[in-house]
Amino acid sequence: MNSKKTMTLNLTDQEMRVLEDLSNQKELSKTAILRQALRLYQLVDVKLAEGGKLFFEDQKKEKAELMVL
Amino acid sequence: MRAQIQIVDWVTREPVEAELFDEVTVEHFLETQKEWRPVVVEAAKKMVHSGSPREVVPRHFHWDWTDKEPDLRILAFSFFGMRARGKLQGLMKLESVGRSGRIASQKGKPLTYVDYLETAPWNIKPLMQALGRSPEFAAVGTRLIEAAVRKSLDEGFKGRLALHSLSTSERFYLDVCGMTAVGRDPAKQNLLWCEFTPEQAERFLNEGAA
Repeated sequence: MNSKKTMTLNLTDQEMRVLEDLSNQKELSKTAILRQALRLYQLVDVKLAEGGKLFFEDQKKEKAELMVL
Repeated sequence: MRAQIQIVDWVTREPVEAELFDEVTVEHFLETQKEWRPVVVEAAKKMVHSGSPREVVPRHFHWDWTDKEPDLRILAFSFFGMRARGKLQGLMKLESVGRSGRIASQKGKPLTYVDYLETAPWNIKPLMQALGRSPEFAAVGTRLIEAAVRKSLDEGFKGRLALHSLSTSERFYLDVCGMTAVGRDPAKQNLLWCEFTPEQAERFLNEGAA
């Protein structure tokens, strides 16, 4: 595996709470959650840059396009 | 990452040194198109002409790894290759984001998904039988699945792993690897979703393939 670099991350209380909740729900470490977030962000960013669109479909099968900055 | 591993010479049953690596490039994809695909297509044609049962005729004759070249730069995807005796023996693409378990006890828990796994055609017994040759190596697929489980552990997914199996490979994943058949997926050509729980993955790594 590639060698890993260390960084310090400053989060608000609320951001830390969300990170901890996700960590508990997914049974992943906080680091693993943030790595997942980075992967997902890059994937979505690349697909949107290629002209793809991202939709969420609700229970009624209605689709809403998600805008990502 | 480059690691020395062992596969097995099909004829002598002796271990053979191989290299497992994750620095896959488009050159490897081109190698599959040049060296693998013509053999797969030739064997598939012979199997069809000789009336081989439909379920043993390879389903991956149309695969083109070069389509995946843009994915080499995306963190959500990772690739592994294996080389022995100067030739590419296997190639695998993994997804490490957006997939979760379908076994009841694993629902919602993230896992590593094997998007593509291909062994060189000269390592696939039915293909070589169709061409009147002996396969060259065994255990290539097993070593790649081991690498996938280790990737899952590295991601913090505890070894959870899943894939949609082609019909010709179901027995390998279920009987040899010991994965659970969860069900056919209408959203993916009705292919069988096979999954490792953390316990199954640990057993597979510790005890090896059946």
